[in-house]
Amino acid sequence: MKHEVKLPELGEDANEAASVGFWMVETGSYVNEGDELLELTTDKAAFSVPSPASGVLTEKCVEDGDEVSVGDLLCVLEE
Amino acid sequence: MATQSPFPEWIRQGWASGEDFTYTKGLIEDLGLHTVCQSANCPNIGECWQRRTATMMVLGGTCTRSCRYCSVDSGKPAPPDPQEPENVAEAVRRMDLKHAVITMVTRDDLPDGGAAHIAETVRAIHRLNPGATVELLVPEFEGVEADIRTVLDAGAEVFGHNIETVERLYPVLRDRRSTYRLALDVLRQAAQYEPRPIVKSALMAGHGETEQDVEATLQDLLDAGCEAVSIGQYLRPGPKQRKVEAFVHPDQFKAYEAMAYEMGFLFATAGPFVRSSYRSDEMMKAYFARERIRAMGRVGS
Repeated sequence: MKHEVKLPELGEDANEAASVGFWMVETGSYVNEGDELLELTTDKAAFSVPSPASGVLTEKCVEDGDEVSVGDLLCVLEE
Repeated sequence: MATQSPFPEWIRQGWASGEDFTYTKGLIEDLGLHTVCQSANCPNIGECWQRRTATMMVLGGTCTRSCRYCSVDSGKPAPPDPQEPENVAEAVRRMDLKHAVITMVTRDDLPDGGAAHIAETVRAIHRLNPGATVELLVPEFEGVEADIRTVLDAGAEVFGHNIETVERLYPVLRDRRSTYRLALDVLRQAAQYEPRPIVKSALMAGHGETEQDVEATLQDLLDAGCEAVSIGQYLRPGPKQRKVEAFVHPDQFKAYEAMAYEMGFLFATAGPFVRSSYRSDEMMKAYFARERIRAMGRVGS
């Protein structure tokens, strides 16, 4: 099953734009639900984004340094 | 090529996700409530909301003050929502909070600074949530005793007023109407009230204060009757706010915490992600807190 991983929203008034710091997993690797996928930075802090599912990371849709917003597709996992 | 992080390794949190986070978010939106978690772009939002806890902000989402580190909207607020106290109490019930932390904007536009609305919120929470304790984080009410008394009469178990920073940095950080001595005076009034609530304050690190500045502030807080303190790293909410002067090392925070206990605080917590309401439910489990709640005539949780 294909699983599209999107950047979850924080909240109505919250700052929801971030930039991609770096990926913590390589394309083709298997990740478990909850494993850290990538690091993002906002104005306030650095954040790790956990994987919402288990599977093989088949495609990264954003690269290091990209600006991302809530709802953007980050990567694709296949179970 | 990975981009260089502007933050030291310890300024790192988990991005919010998961069913529990979605539940908390839905509940806040459903009841039309404001939270400081969102208004302040708090980096702990993921962790706290995943634990199904949130710090609600009453008296609306617009503050009449404009402090240089804060991202809460500043301007002319709408009149308080008369339904808000009940809605907050309902949120506490649905989240099954044993300890509810309620913060608020400053309302210089209201004759009582919003004191009656805050008092009603405390009463509504206690009424709908028997056994739950309430922690308030209040503005200074321009030091008006009658307004502070209105709030104290409602019987919140924890009365919090944040000193925010050391005396030397007040003019550069805070709204000009806020003064260091006034903040201490508010805490003193709470400490002299009977039955005495737990009196708590908090300050930010990372604005260029020295250890001596922090020690002097802690002593002033103690002298005012403050018993609990939290110290956390200031993190710039956005480009409009003042920049971070220093990322204080976690070891320095540990030293601040130890210093606070040595000086005589009954509860102290310090760390990069410590906020005034961060994990405050843990304080309520401490022996002194349980004893105080008993002395206030409440069973507590």
